[in-house]
Formats: sequence, structure tokens, C-alpha cells
Amino acid sequence: MSSDSQASEGEVYSLNMGPQHPSMHGVLRLLLDLRGEEVIRAKPVIGYSHRAHEKMAENRNTLQFLPNTSRVDYLSGMIYNLGYCQAIEKLLGIDVPERAIYIRVIVNELNRIASHLLWFGTFLLDLGGITPFLYSFDDREEILDILDQVTGSRLTYCYGRFGGVTWDVDETFLTRATAFLARIRERLHMYKQLVTDNVILRERCTGVGVVSEALAKSYGVTGPSLRASGVAYDVRKAEPYGGYDRFDFEVPVLHEGDTMARFHIRIREIEESCKIIEQAIEAIPEGEILPKKMPKRFKLPEGEYYFAVESARGHFGMYIVGDGSDIPVKLKLRTPSFSNLSAMPETLAGTMLADTIAIVGSIDVVMPEIDR
Amino acid sequence: MGYFGNVFGGFGSLLSGMSVTLRKFSQTVIRRKAVTMQYPKELPELAPAYRSAIKLIRFEESNSHDCVACKACERICPSYCIKLSGGKVEGIKKKRVAEFEMDFALCSLCGLCLDVCPTDTLEYSKVYEEAGYNRDWRVDLLAEFRDYEEEFVAKQRVIEEKAAAEKKAKAEAAKKAKEAKKKAEADEKADNDSKEELS
Ligand code: SF4
Ligand code: SF4
Repeated sequence: MSSDSQASEGEVYSLNMGPQHPSMHGVLRLLLDLRGEEVIRAKPVIGYSHRAHEKMAENRNTLQFLPNTSRVDYLSGMIYNLGYCQAIEKLLGIDVPERAIYIRVIVNELNRIASHLLWFGTFLLDLGGITPFLYSFDDREEILDILDQVTGSRLTYCYGRFGGVTWDVDETFLTRATAFLARIRERLHMYKQLVTDNVILRERCTGVGVVSEALAKSYGVTGPSLRASGVAYDVRKAEPYGGYDRFDFEVPVLHEGDTMARFHIRIREIEESCKIIEQAIEAIPEGEILPKKMPKRFKLPEGEYYFAVESARGHFGMYIVGDGSDIPVKLKLRTPSFSNLSAMPETLAGTMLADTIAIVGSIDVVMPEIDR
Repeated sequence: MGYFGNVFGGFGSLLSGMSVTLRKFSQTVIRRKAVTMQYPKELPELAPAYRSAIKLIRFEESNSHDCVACKACERICPSYCIKLSGGKVEGIKKKRVAEFEMDFALCSLCGLCLDVCPTDTLEYSKVYEEAGYNRDWRVDLLAEFRDYEEEFVAKQRVIEEKAAAEKKAKAEAAKKAKEAKKKAEADEKADNDSKEELS
């Protein structure tokens, strides 16, 4: 009795949420200071799935690092894998055949949709809705099957090679991808009916966990979370790479900065990705998928290089230091979730415990990517 | 009014959500358009690009693999899962691999070993039912080839001998042709000389 009343009057106590909590994705641990149900302070504790990918990069040659890339972020592994290839290609001046450029765009965007669908399902599962989870995983499964056709893997792809890709896409792949676009558009309509219009979701998300533009910028928040706070920054538009400047697509922006805005941005990004895939399938030329002449070893010239791509969660950058050999002196991976999560303590302070789940879920963290 | 508006609006949104659920229910339960594959009864169709543990290809003409124990795959493998040894074999010129062990527990299925192999004798296998009771996943890739090795060596010897004989014959023919040419030249020269003398 006494402890109850004390707590309600203002005793602050600490609560560990995670690392093994069903709604903390991966192994995120949040150290919460609570007064009753109100969060006074939140501190993310990370490092539970650290695998030393950056250190591994210093001990193997550039080619051997390829399988590591997709393991950094297993939900958008393709974007990471191909992003690393693109970085090395730009560094060494390797020309990518036209067909490979288009294939890369298609698989990248499919992977982005798959990642957003998984987020969609698990986010709603955290909020207590189990049905959308089943539907979105059904859709995602279709993408994984399509990608499996050419990459031979489901999640940890090693599809890219310096200069191209390992396996050519065939008619079946393209027709399946086209069919999928029709399907996902219909499903998005259904999701709107089932989820987005739902009054409970709106009540729980609107105005909750507002990340202001200034806060987002000061922590280097990127990706959909940044675009929901009113900044139209997308690496695909800001510094076009891998042929993205040829496609006509928009960068959706909302200004509310709350959980609902982040939700809407991701749904609209799925639509934009569909547009890109459609154009790419239409325009894909015949030809080679790897350049004819390739060096045997990929030696990094002396100096420091930076290259960034837009992953499903934001700005993924690679900072490479070379010394003339084919083993990098340093390969730093700048992963978006880390910065996105850093903005959380300030956002979470003063919210209710139940909203914590919604807010942390809405920035879509992938822990292995943060820990690397 | 705002209050009642909210209540009705909210109720409407719930109903529209429920209608989706009902529609899907009728599709899957009543019309039996299930999306789940009943795995052990139905088996998945594997894509041609499907990746599983690597294996050596059995070529038709030789009824064996073509590994020359160059160790390129062992060197490139980022996970250190290939261990092989081999070299000269009695009786033939071609090098052969003697031991080829691969630890599938370590393999990341990156495919770099396939890319570097000079004789293109590696490929992904298509096995996928690989649950096991211990951690030991070392596979002897040569197991299915051992019985054929003698046969291969015998065949290869014939091929090599034939090739050597052909080469020898060719060389001889070339030598002969050269000699003939020389002779012809010499003759011509002699002819010319004699002609010059005559004139
Ligand atoms: S696929 Fe990659 S990890 Fe597996 S054996 Fe080949 S090189 Fe090694
Ligand atoms: S690279 Fe090919 S030929 Fe060389 S050792 Fe490996 S399997 Fe044999």
C-alpha cells in the first residue's frame, strides 16, 4: 500500500525494457526511469549483437568483405551489398553495364519495399494488431521469393559483384515483379482500409513522439524518420547514385514529425518504390551483367573516400581509407539506425510508457545495424 | 455533435477494417485459397539460382570433376571453410585434388569460390533439408568421386597420350614441312645460282 502510494506521488524507479522484450526489435535495451507511467529518462543500451564487421574489413580484401555487407542490416541487405559494390566501383572507376544498373535498381527497390512491409507488420504487432502482420508478411514473402529467383538467398544476399551482379534476371522474374506491383497496390488500398483509417491507430499515433526538425537535424536523423519531420533529404535525389537520376519519383515529406507521420511516409515510400520498379522494368535493356574486362585484385588507391546510399532506414555511408593494397586500412560504416536511435532519449522524455513502444517502433531500428 | 461524430466515425472505421478481415476469411477458409505451403507434403520448387552448400560438378565427358587443386578457392574464401590438398598424380600430367573438405557450418554462400575457380568445377548444390543434431558440418566433397578416380586417371592417360602423340605428329609434320621448305628454297637458290652462272 505504502509503496503504491509513494510511486504515484513521485518516486522514480528504473525499468529495463529489453534486450529480450517482445516489442524491442532485435536486442535493444531501453533503460527507463519512470514516475508512475511517465518516462522521465530513457537511455538506449546497445552492443548486444556486435560482430566487429568494421574490424573484419581491415583483415580481408575488398572482395572478401562482400558477404559481410548484407549481414550488417539483414532487412535491407541488398541495398547494403550493392551499395558497397557501388562505392568500390566509383573508387576504382569501374563501369557498370546498363543492364546491371537496371537490375540493381529493381532489386534494391524490391528490398526496400520488403523492409518497409516488415516494419509495417511488426510495428502494428507492437501496437496490438496481429492481422496486418500476417498480411504484410504474406506480401513480403512474395518479394523474398522473387529475389530468391535470382540471388539464391532469402535475406543475406551476396548478389552484387564489383561491376555488376552475379545472375541475370529472366522473363519470369520481370513478370513476377510486375505482377507483384499490381498486387501490392491493391494491398495498399486494403491496408488503408484495415489500418490507416483505423481510429485506434490514429488515436495512438497522432501527436505522439514528435521529433522536431531541429532535433532531427542535430542528431543526424535520416531516412523516413527525417522526412516525416519536414526535411526532404533522400540520398537518391540529393546525390544520385547507381542510375537513380533516370527515374521519376518523388520524395514524400510531412511536417508533423509524429509517429503517424512516420507511418504515412513509409507507406508512401512503398508507392514511390513501385513507380521506380515499373519504370525500370519498362526500360531494362538487353546486354551483359558484368563488364568484360575486370582486374584480378581490387586495389584501393591511397586516400580517403566516402560514399553513401539510401537504405530503407536512411543514409548509409561508407568511409574507406586505402593505402594502395587491396585491404582497406579502415572501413567505417555509418548506419542510419544509430543516429535515428540517438534522438530517442530526448523524444521519449515526458511520454507515457505505452507510447514508448509506438515511438521506438516507428523509427524502425534494426539492432545488428547499430551494433555492426 | 463532435463527440457523436467521433463515435460514429470511429465505429465506421472499425467496421471497414472488419470487412477486410471477413473478406480474407472467406477467401482462405471458405474458398480455400490458402497461402501457406504444407511443407513436408508439398515440396518447394527451387529457383535455378538457389544457393546451398558448394559441390564439385560431375562433367559428362570425363564422368568426374575437374579440380586441379590450384587452391584459389581456399585462398579467396572469406570464411575459411575450404580445406584441400592435392597435386601430381602418378601417370598423368594433370594435377588432381586428393582431399577436399568443406565446412558448411562456416560457409556464407557468397559464391566467391565459384567465381575464382579456373576450371569452373564448383557449383551450388540444391539440398535444403539440412537440419542436424551437432555442429559438425564438414563435408567430403570427393566422396562421390573416389570410386571413379582410377577410371578417370586411366581415361586421362589415354587422352594425354593421344594428345601427346598428336602433338608429336604435328611437330614432326611441321618439322618435315619446314625441312621441305628449306630444301625447296635451297633448290631454288641452287637453280638461281646455276642460272646466274649460265648467263
Ligand atoms: S561460398 Fe563463400 S564462404 Fe562458402 S565456400 Fe565458397 S567462398 Fe567460402
Ligand atoms: S579453385 Fe577450382 S580448381 Fe582450384 S582448387 Fe578450387 S575447386 Fe579446385
